[in-house]
Amino acid sequence: MTGRLGRSGRWVFLVLLGLYFLVPQLAMARFAFQNVPVVLLGPDTFFSKWSFDALGQALAEPALWQATGVSAVLAVLTVALTLVLLVPPTIYVEVRAPRLRPWLSAATLVPWVIPPIALVVGVAATFRAVAPGFLASTASLVPFYAVWALPFTYRALDAGLRAINARTLVEAATSLGSSTAGAVVRVLLPNLTASLVAAGGLTTALVLGEFAFASLLLKQTLPTYLVDFQRSQARAGMALALAVMVLTALALAAVVRLLRRRGLGTTTLGL
Amino acid sequence: MSDLMTAPATTTAGVELIGVRKTFGSTVALEHLDLRIEPGELVCLLGPSGCGKTTALRLLAGFEQPDAGTITIGGKDITTVPPRRRGFGMVFQDYSLFPHLTARANIAYGLRVRRTDAATITRTVDELLEVTRLAEHADKFPHQLSGGQKQRVALARAIATRPGLLLLDEPLSALDAQVREHLRDEIRRIQRELGVTTVLVTHDQGEAMAIADRVAVMNTGRMEQIATPRELYRRPATAFVAGFVGTVNRVRARRGPDGSWWVLGVPVEVVGDLAATDAADDRLAVVRPEQVEVSPAPAGARVVALSFLGAVTRLTLDHPDEGPLLADVLSESSDALRVGEHVQVAVRPGAGAVVLA
Repeated sequence: MTGRLGRSGRWVFLVLLGLYFLVPQLAMARFAFQNVPVVLLGPDTFFSKWSFDALGQALAEPALWQATGVSAVLAVLTVALTLVLLVPPTIYVEVRAPRLRPWLSAATLVPWVIPPIALVVGVAATFRAVAPGFLASTASLVPFYAVWALPFTYRALDAGLRAINARTLVEAATSLGSSTAGAVVRVLLPNLTASLVAAGGLTTALVLGEFAFASLLLKQTLPTYLVDFQRSQARAGMALALAVMVLTALALAAVVRLLRRRGLGTTTLGL
Repeated sequence: MSDLMTAPATTTAGVELIGVRKTFGSTVALEHLDLRIEPGELVCLLGPSGCGKTTALRLLAGFEQPDAGTITIGGKDITTVPPRRRGFGMVFQDYSLFPHLTARANIAYGLRVRRTDAATITRTVDELLEVTRLAEHADKFPHQLSGGQKQRVALARAIATRPGLLLLDEPLSALDAQVREHLRDEIRRIQRELGVTTVLVTHDQGEAMAIADRVAVMNTGRMEQIATPRELYRRPATAFVAGFVGTVNRVRARRGPDGSWWVLGVPVEVVGDLAATDAADDRLAVVRPEQVEVSPAPAGARVVALSFLGAVTRLTLDHPDEGPLLADVLSESSDALRVGEHVQVAVRPGAGAVVLA
């Protein structure tokens, strides 16, 4: 890469990539935070009339806080469900049956191969016959999100287990008299906290940003609220969207930093 | 001295592997292993990678189950007993300390699991910290310790529960040379004081010879020979053993008219699995450099190189019949030799037996 592209080529590439990400956000920010009619948002008005009124207006909506509350509860439930579903098999495969690892890894990627619409239609068709009430509740989103978060959670856990050499640790603990379950509780889990936090952080970010499932199942979560709100109040909606994006990015950065401190680079996460 | 170190080693016992076989898929790791270890003995399993020595150790620890055969300790069959009920201590190659626990808590782990009372734990751990010279590092976490310190914590952790058998898997291979030698002697000292039966796996013949009561040389899933270091060196059972424990020359051996074997023009005593039964008249013999004697001569082997090793000098010779040949001679007797000169080569009288290959 370096050889063929050269130093200057690399910089051009990075600058273009940066612009590709930054320009739309700058446009969003100007639209949301400048008290200037849209048609006049040219280079000459760049520094005039910046204000956070629009954000204040958006934050004053009680429906926002309700939707945020729903999303927060969904995030907590989803994190709990993914960890309960995934921690035992991931540990089992790593410690007892490493040859099954490629299969588990592949299985956790399946959700990304199935489009949300197909998943929703399929699950809806199944549950309408079996448990008609299931999809009516907002909590019905949790299993969808849990499935959707599998690849993140699995990779975070797998990287953590490999980094601590889980298999030998369990062998060491059992040779000292622990049962396998005892070794998992006394030795593995305390050394997996960073991975568990990372998995939780990634899952939370995912839930706070997920739109397709919630929209298809007609639930009011933070992302669907954002879309609705934007339709009625374009500027305030844009301000809110930008704020949510920045907060999510900061939360993810905090997770990455936490992992680095524990000696787990982002590369080992396979993301 | 503390009661930990002076208490009679009541739990330690002899270990026996009888006809043990282990395969992984289509790979045969152990073909048929018989091994008897006496109580209190330190046995090294020595061999190249893939010889089955680590598999043998993992079978003893209970991490693997044999396909066939029996493992006993003190005469009791433990073949199917899970690791946690065997009560063995194990030291791993990569230390495998628990990263979230201090040195002290690592050492105490086995005692905690056994629900030993707090006072006994404190006393035992303090003693072990003393014995392994770790007292000042007691409250450090593994990532704050050096390699040698980690390995000493691992050793202390393994012996804290007074195991009936101590298993060490390449315990020194991750350390640098100086620490390795020091820790090797520490392991030996502690093992002697505790009187615990010990099996140590290594691929380093120098380590095995220095530390072991007996060395078991393994190759391709089989036992080649088990003997004391001296016996192994002087009377190797096979050419593989001779080649693995020390440097060797391979030269031709011929049978004389009276049936005795002649090597480098001298009648020699031969040992090894071929010596007794073989009917051939022409073989290869394995001769160590220090068994080769040289004397100045107008013709014969030519000196290609001289390397001064202190008390001895190693000569690299080019022999007209045998090709390249190594000879270790006392430095004072080889001071006059120069590269390019010729010497007469023979097996030194009284230099011990040679093995047929």
